[in-house]
Amino acid sequence: MKMQSKCGSFFALLAVACSALLLAPDNAQAVPSFARQTGMACEACHTVFPELTPFGRRFKLNGYVIDNLQQVSGMNTSKEQTLALNQLPPLSMMFQTSYTQTQTAVPDSAVSGAQAKNGQVLFPQQASLFYAGRIAPNLGAFVQFTYNGASGSFGWDNTDIRYAKMVNDHFLWGMSFNNNPTVQDLWNTTPAWQTPFDQRSSTAPSRGATTMIDGGLAGAGVAGLSAYASWDNAFYAELGAYRSAPAAAVIDSTSKNVVNANAPYWRLAYERQWDRQSWEVGAYGIDANLYPGGGVALTGPTNRYRDWAADSQYEYIGDEHLFTATATYIRENQTLDASYATGASSNLRNNLKTLRLGASYFFRRTYGAALGYFSTAGSADALLYAPALFSGYGNSRPDTKGWTAELDWVPYENTKLALQYTNYSRFNGAANNYDGSGRNASDNNTLYLLGWINF
Amino acid sequence: MNKLLARITALVLAATAGAAFAQQDPAALAQGVCSACHGPDGHSISPVFPNLAGQQPAYITLQLFAFRDHRRGDPNAQAYMWGMASQLSDDTIKALATYYAAQKPAPGQPGASALMAAGEKIYTQGVPAQGVPACATCHGAQGLGDKAFPRLAGQHVDYLVAQLEGFKSGTRSNAPIMLAVARTLTPEQMRAVATYASSR
Repeated sequence: MKMQSKCGSFFALLAVACSALLLAPDNAQAVPSFARQTGMACEACHTVFPELTPFGRRFKLNGYVIDNLQQVSGMNTSKEQTLALNQLPPLSMMFQTSYTQTQTAVPDSAVSGAQAKNGQVLFPQQASLFYAGRIAPNLGAFVQFTYNGASGSFGWDNTDIRYAKMVNDHFLWGMSFNNNPTVQDLWNTTPAWQTPFDQRSSTAPSRGATTMIDGGLAGAGVAGLSAYASWDNAFYAELGAYRSAPAAAVIDSTSKNVVNANAPYWRLAYERQWDRQSWEVGAYGIDANLYPGGGVALTGPTNRYRDWAADSQYEYIGDEHLFTATATYIRENQTLDASYATGASSNLRNNLKTLRLGASYFFRRTYGAALGYFSTAGSADALLYAPALFSGYGNSRPDTKGWTAELDWVPYENTKLALQYTNYSRFNGAANNYDGSGRNASDNNTLYLLGWINF
Repeated sequence: MNKLLARITALVLAATAGAAFAQQDPAALAQGVCSACHGPDGHSISPVFPNLAGQQPAYITLQLFAFRDHRRGDPNAQAYMWGMASQLSDDTIKALATYYAAQKPAPGQPGASALMAAGEKIYTQGVPAQGVPACATCHGAQGLGDKAFPRLAGQHVDYLVAQLEGFKSGTRSNAPIMLAVARTLTPEQMRAVATYASSR
C-alpha cells in the first residue's frame, strides 16, 4: 500500500493539530459567536458541529435572535423597541488545517507527463471570520468571510441574514436573504450543510458533474430572497428566488452560468419530534434559466435546469449515544437550448441524478464514526462530457460513485479532528481510464486528515 | 425586479424596527424563547428538558436565581440555563414562575409494574437501611410538591433520574437535602422511584 509509506507525514500533521489543540480555550463553546450571544454551550444547538439539534433548528428559524448579552437599547414613545444591539459584537474565528493524499498523485499543472507532489498540507485549508447573531429585535445574521488556502484568496462565504416573527404559539414566519441555495435550510441533508462529510479536501479531485442546487449555482455567485413559515415546529414551507450576484460587479459575457431573471426556489418539510428523537422528511427544488456565458454574450437562448430533491433525516440525541442518518436524492432535468445551439452539448435534453446516504455515531459527543454512500449519474453526452487529462470524461458519461468513511475525535466542543477516506468505484463516467488518458477512478481515492477549531 | 427586491427589503427592515418590545412580558418570553426547549405552555418533548407546567412557583424562582448566580451547575444547567437566565431581572423571574405555575400540568404515565411497585415503596416508605427518607414527606403523596419542594408528578422519568444522578455525583449541588437523600441510591432505585413519582 502506497498509503502506509506516508505515515510519517500523518504524525507530523497530527503533531501540528495537537499543538493547535493546546491553544483552545478551557471552557470551550462551539460556533462561538452564537455561544457568546446566547450564553449556551455548543451542545445546545449542535449534536457535534455543524449538525444542528432540534433546538439549533429553532434558533435558526427564529432568526438567530435569542440573546443574553448586555444591550444597547432604543425605544420610541409607543414603547416599541427600535434598537437592540449587543454591547460587544458576536464575532468568532474558524481555523482549518488539513492533509490530503490521493492514491496516485495528480498530474502536474504545467509540465506534461509529470506529477504533482502527493501529500498536500494546507495551513490553513480555510480560515474564517464570522459575525453571527442578532442585529436588531427580530433580525439576525450569519455572515462568514473566508480565506481559502487552496486558492490563496479572501472572499465572502456563506451568508444568511434573516427576519423572523412569531405570530403566536404555533405560527412563525420569516425571510432570509442569502447567497447559497439551502444555506438557509434547517436540516443537514441539503447541499450547503450536509452531514456527515460536510468537510472534504479542497485539493483532492472532485466529481465533474453536479446539479445546480448541489453547489452549481452557489459556485456561480447568486443572491436570493425567500419567505418561510413554520407551524408547530412540524411543518415548514419556503418560497424564494435567486439572481446572479457574482463577486465581480458587472455581469457580462465573461461571467459563467448567469441566471436569466430569477430562479425560483422552494422547500417543504415535515419534522416529528418525540422523546430524544426527531425525524424529518421533505422536498426542495429550483428552476433556473442560465446563460452559459464564458465568452458568449448574454442574449438568445438559455439552458434550463429544473432540480427537485427529496430528503430525510433521523436524529437520536442521548447523553451517551448520538446517532444521525441522512438521505438525499436530487434529480435535475436539463434543457440545453443555449449549449446545444453553440455545439457545447450533443443532446438538447440531459439529466443528472445524485443520491447521498450517510450515517454517523458519536459517543458522548467525543468519539465518532461515519459512513456514507454517494452517487451521481446521468445521460451520456459526448460534447458536454469530453475527454481531458485528469478532469475529463473518457466515455461521455458524468457518473461518479463511491463511499466515504470517517473517524472523528472531538476533544472539546469547539475542536474536531477527522480522518476521512473516500473510495471511488467510478469517477467521471468510468472505473478504468475514466479521463481517456489512462487514469483510473481508484487513483483518486483520497485520505484526508482535518483539524478544525472554532473560537 | 431589482426595485421589487429593494421594496421587499425595505418592508422587512421597517417591520423589524417596529417590532413590539416584549422581553419582559412573561407569556411572550415563555412562548418566544423558553418554549424552544420547554415546549408551548411548559410541556417539553425531550426528557433532557423538564416540564414546567404546574411547577411550584417558589421552586422555579429558586432555580432561575441559582442558574443566574451559577449556584446550580449540573451539565445541562451550565450548557443551557446559565446563559438563558443571565439577563433576567428578579421581577421577570417571578413573573415567569407565576406563568408556568398557572399552566395545566402534564398528566403522569404509569411505567412497568415491577418498577412502579419498587418505586412506590421507596417513594412512600423510603429505604431505612440506606438512610433514604420517604419522598412523599416533602414532595407530597401525589408528588405535587410544596413551595421550594418541586412537583414531580408528570415530570419526565429521564429528567428525574438525571437530577438524582446529579445530586449523587455532586454536579447539582444546590439542594442540600437531596444531596443527602441521593447519596446511597442505586441506579435501579433511582429509575424505580422516578418512574413512580412521574406517574402521579
